[in-house]
Amino acid sequence: MNKPKNKAAVVKVKSDIEKSVLDFLKKGMDNEIFDAVLIPMKVPAGDSFAYVLIKDKSLLKDASYLPPVMPVQGANAVSSITRLGKGKMKIAAVMRPCETRATVELTKLGQTDLENIILISMDCPGVLPLSDFVNDSKKGMKLFNESIKKEEDKEMRPVCQICDKSSMIAGDLHIGTLGAKKDTFFVISNSDKGDEILSKLKISKNEDLDSWLSKVKNISEEKLKKRKNAHKILKSQVGGLDNLLDTFSQCINCHNCMRVCPVCYCRLCYFDSDKVKHPSDDYLMRAEKTGSLRCPSDITLFQMGRMMHMSLSCVSCGMCEDACPMDIPVAQIFSMVADETQDLFDYVSGRDIEEPLPFVSYKEKELEEMEDAA
Amino acid sequence: MTKAIVINKTADQGLTEVLKFLLENDRVKGVFTLKKINKEGDVSYSLITNADDLKDSVPFYPLMPVNAAKILSRFTLKGPSDVPIVAVLKPCELRAFIELVKREQGSLENLFFISSTCAGVFPLEMGKERLIEKNLSKYFEKIKKLEILDDLRPVCRSCEEFVPYNADMTVKLIGENIDKKSIIFLNTKKAEKLVEGIKLDVSEKDLDKKTLDNFKSKRAEEKKKIFADIDKKTNGIDGLIDLFGRCIGCHACREACPICYCKLCEFDSSDCEYKPSNYEIELRKRGGLRVPPGTVYYHLGRLDHVTISCVGCGSCEDVCPVDIPLSAIFKKVGESVQKMFDYIPGRDPKEDLPITTFEKEELTEFEE
Amino acid sequence: MKKDDEFLPKIIAFLCNWCSYAGADLAGTSRLKYPPSILPIRVMCSSRVDPLFVIKAYLGGADGVLIAGCHPGDCHYEKGNYYTRRRFAVLKTIAENLKLESDRLKLSWISASEGPKYAKVATEFTEQIKKVGENHTKNQIFL
Repeated sequence: MNKPKNKAAVVKVKSDIEKSVLDFLKKGMDNEIFDAVLIPMKVPAGDSFAYVLIKDKSLLKDASYLPPVMPVQGANAVSSITRLGKGKMKIAAVMRPCETRATVELTKLGQTDLENIILISMDCPGVLPLSDFVNDSKKGMKLFNESIKKEEDKEMRPVCQICDKSSMIAGDLHIGTLGAKKDTFFVISNSDKGDEILSKLKISKNEDLDSWLSKVKNISEEKLKKRKNAHKILKSQVGGLDNLLDTFSQCINCHNCMRVCPVCYCRLCYFDSDKVKHPSDDYLMRAEKTGSLRCPSDITLFQMGRMMHMSLSCVSCGMCEDACPMDIPVAQIFSMVADETQDLFDYVSGRDIEEPLPFVSYKEKELEEMEDAA
Repeated sequence: MTKAIVINKTADQGLTEVLKFLLENDRVKGVFTLKKINKEGDVSYSLITNADDLKDSVPFYPLMPVNAAKILSRFTLKGPSDVPIVAVLKPCELRAFIELVKREQGSLENLFFISSTCAGVFPLEMGKERLIEKNLSKYFEKIKKLEILDDLRPVCRSCEEFVPYNADMTVKLIGENIDKKSIIFLNTKKAEKLVEGIKLDVSEKDLDKKTLDNFKSKRAEEKKKIFADIDKKTNGIDGLIDLFGRCIGCHACREACPICYCKLCEFDSSDCEYKPSNYEIELRKRGGLRVPPGTVYYHLGRLDHVTISCVGCGSCEDVCPVDIPLSAIFKKVGESVQKMFDYIPGRDPKEDLPITTFEKEELTEFEE
Repeated sequence: MKKDDEFLPKIIAFLCNWCSYAGADLAGTSRLKYPPSILPIRVMCSSRVDPLFVIKAYLGGADGVLIAGCHPGDCHYEKGNYYTRRRFAVLKTIAENLKLESDRLKLSWISASEGPKYAKVATEFTEQIKKVGENHTKNQIFL
């Protein structure tokens, strides 16, 4: 992974980008480069999308490589197939950059096996908030398509609006629509697997990638500025114990955020285990200290504990905020903290599969600013 | 005729006075009830040990952020309470707790229950949007006139079990001007002992069965409508695929459900963890498979596991991020399963769960 | 003569070791004729059958699911089949409520000596399933 790129393949678009990408995938299956494709499809009722593992090529025409919502994190879909091993099928998994990064993180955590998986990402414009979309999917589709056409993102989720990694390549192939000439898109290879596929498909990668690289750089820098600004404002709103408690005052401890998070893979979460179940006199004692104890209790413990556990692998995908029934800006908060914790180690989650997780490696001399060097 | 305390204050304030008496006179060591937790008026259950903290309590606030049965279960999971505690619960929450006690997930020892003739609550979303305050006067009006407010949750509008079972005290809400008066029935000898010496009017009152029956038939009408509506949608496997198509597998419904207490749910266990070869077999059969698989399986499985005890509390639907009409589905299926055994979950702590007992001759319509 | 396009149902049958499985065996050794639609799974007692097995079978495309055990009062383990009956009643009620073709589910009591009864149940249930038709959940993608 992570080969230096300045050349890429260019594919011509027939009719529209969606159909051409699906054609590309169909070709991959026709030529037996991969046996199945994992890609979102609209559900029969039409009000949402779901990942489908497709073996029957005729189903591809109903697939959608860039759906307007992210109901399930792609990393969870890949993990549910390959957690117990790699299987015989070669699968092309088509998902957004943050989902690809989360898949790479899950592989480091031993929850997926990527040997027979080909990760294909694309330039991501963001996604719409999930609960708004499912209640009026026609309106949602319209908003999404218009946003892409106008290159605007005000309808997208707050975390998406400040995402500076929306074109980051962590997988094998990437569909580059930004900066591409009219009626074409780039197919960028990021690994030997990717190179192999392009050569098997007899698509040569000798086009200049400069236009994509510069457009992506511009967008990323602009988004990064927005991100830093948004985080400054957010810090002032949630920083400090009083503000933090206020922010989570409506939290009902449902643990939705934890369950939809791709990085939170523990079958029995610490915060659901016996460790947080205490005898009655324990709770009474705590209540007596201040006069009353909010129930369910240990909400701040859960939020900060989860932050501690997963921050280094957080990919800012925003699933948590979509799933929160109380509309607490969890994704924005966790994403802000993740930036800082990952910065400590110059780590970007999911960037490189060879990069070890910061908690399982160390240098003999580091983080001196954290220690008490008397 | 039952002894009842009558206080010329709102139902919230009236009961709070009684709760204050209980704490100040050491009759109980703690009170579980709804309490305002910040200046914005957000509401949460709290275990209150200091009588002064009762000033923010709103026992009958029309919101159910969490089913209180889960909270009581957590409190008594590791063992019964050593000290007397009083809990103010809605009828469905009390019933759910008793169902949990039958499953050894809680203990009734040393607990006193105060409930009410429940007028229903608003959807959790309205609590999130902080729209309840401005709807309170409308809420009180409808209660007084024995009418059903449209904005309430569907399970509440259609609930026929609004008279609590097993409550030591019942506060009259339905048909009462709860903005001005509170009537607290003392149902048990335990309750009378608890408030012995309280300096408030105690008189003999009647829970007015006729009014309640009248109201019950109104709720039954609503239920007919809501059930007919969901019946159209639960139309075979295609209906289920349509209803649960948008399900994201977050399992929030399971977490919110008071009856679902399993430490490791079947649907999270290795039973539901599939090898690549399982996928390969399914793909040969179907050509394509939704991933992660088992969306409909999870819901059918949960229906099989919990509907015998479903109290129709509606927490499942409140927490669903994609607004699947779960509460109507579970309530409707729950009622038909419970009817078979003439069972009302939570009616009687001594009543066995129907699936843990049997009759030597029964259900002949199901056997060959 | 079997027509090539005639629908042969796939019926998963959970048979308890002591009674119904032995009864099925007896039907076989007695050379009794019944359609080859039954796929038997032997369990020690009919109460071993978790309703989830039945749901899984139905969602997997089984055209019918049969649970057969000892007659009530004759269970090898005393009371297993009483629980089976209750669990089956709950599951069938759920299926009826959701219009999930509850006719595909059957509970039958077949003792070890009732070879002919097994053949009769197999034949009649197969006919019943043929009327209900093929279970299309086997083709569903969005389950």
